[in-house]
Amino acid sequence: MAQLNQANNASMQAEDSWQIGGITLHSRLFLGTGRFPNPYVQNEAIRASGTQVLTFAVRRINLDDPDEDAILQHLEGIDREGERPFIFLPNTSGASTAEEAVRIARLARASGLSDWIKIEISSDPKTLLPDPVETLKATEMLVKEGFTVLPYASDDPMLCRLLEEAGAAAVMPGGSPIGTGLGILNPYNIERIVEESRVPVIVDAGLGSAKDAAEAMELGADAVLVNTPVARAKDPAGMALAMNLAVQAGRLSYRSGRIIKRKYATASSGYEEYKIR
Amino acid sequence: MTEIVLNGKKTTTDAKTVFELIQAYGLEGKPIAVEIGGEVVNREEWKEKQIQSGMTIELVHFVGGG
Repeated sequence: MAQLNQANNASMQAEDSWQIGGITLHSRLFLGTGRFPNPYVQNEAIRASGTQVLTFAVRRINLDDPDEDAILQHLEGIDREGERPFIFLPNTSGASTAEEAVRIARLARASGLSDWIKIEISSDPKTLLPDPVETLKATEMLVKEGFTVLPYASDDPMLCRLLEEAGAAAVMPGGSPIGTGLGILNPYNIERIVEESRVPVIVDAGLGSAKDAAEAMELGADAVLVNTPVARAKDPAGMALAMNLAVQAGRLSYRSGRIIKRKYATASSGYEEYKIR
Repeated sequence: MTEIVLNGKKTTTDAKTVFELIQAYGLEGKPIAVEIGGEVVNREEWKEKQIQSGMTIELVHFVGGG
């Protein structure tokens, strides 16, 4: 059964690759690396998720204990022989202005690991909702500096259009505030963003379970980014696999074309005149 | 001894260059980034860049995040 699944997954993903900034991706799940119980569980979850893109934050090194939180060294423990190396997507969390985000982005790139950057700018500690004006400003600045820019943004079709025009490599509208698990609060907006975007749409933030990931994909998103719902699940590796499958199921469902919703029943068997009476 | 502000804390160091400072904390070869006075110091410049009294220096790395 597991082998059959893997074979199906492999063939389905092979014919459904997508691109960001000229890089071809086969998985449509981005995984965050925050708040896992420990590095071992995190590695199990990364493996189960099938992800190719991992997100990180940039912080000061604790110089009293320089190895603490050195997350990258734990990744070496993941056995992925024969598979493509991970793409690192650092974020600018902690920034509340465009200037602060640019500063963090430059530091992230100077690490030598990636020139991808997820812009995350928030000044409201209660909702962590992204600041649209500063996010647009930072997108313009970082595109000029040659970054592959993925802005985390509100689920606003107009804003996402402006971000695309500013040169974003993808747009990342939030489903609901970070870490809430409230799912996709405005599916209408996500659908409009998908319809209008010529760059990939990655639904980021607020997803709570596999059902939400499938919903995002059924709305036509190119990918989803999850962190908290996997890291804080009772069984993170189990939830990572569930997300992996949900993203694939949602994608296949979207491509296969769902039926139109109707108010009243339609019998599934037909053959009205042959009913046994 | 040179007085600097390192990751927000006043401290003194014997390091003459950025590279020596990084060595002092056992961070050579690690995927870290360095900023002095708000400007990134690229890896290739670490050995030449002199540490001077009063500099504000940040040593950063990747941590878990979403």
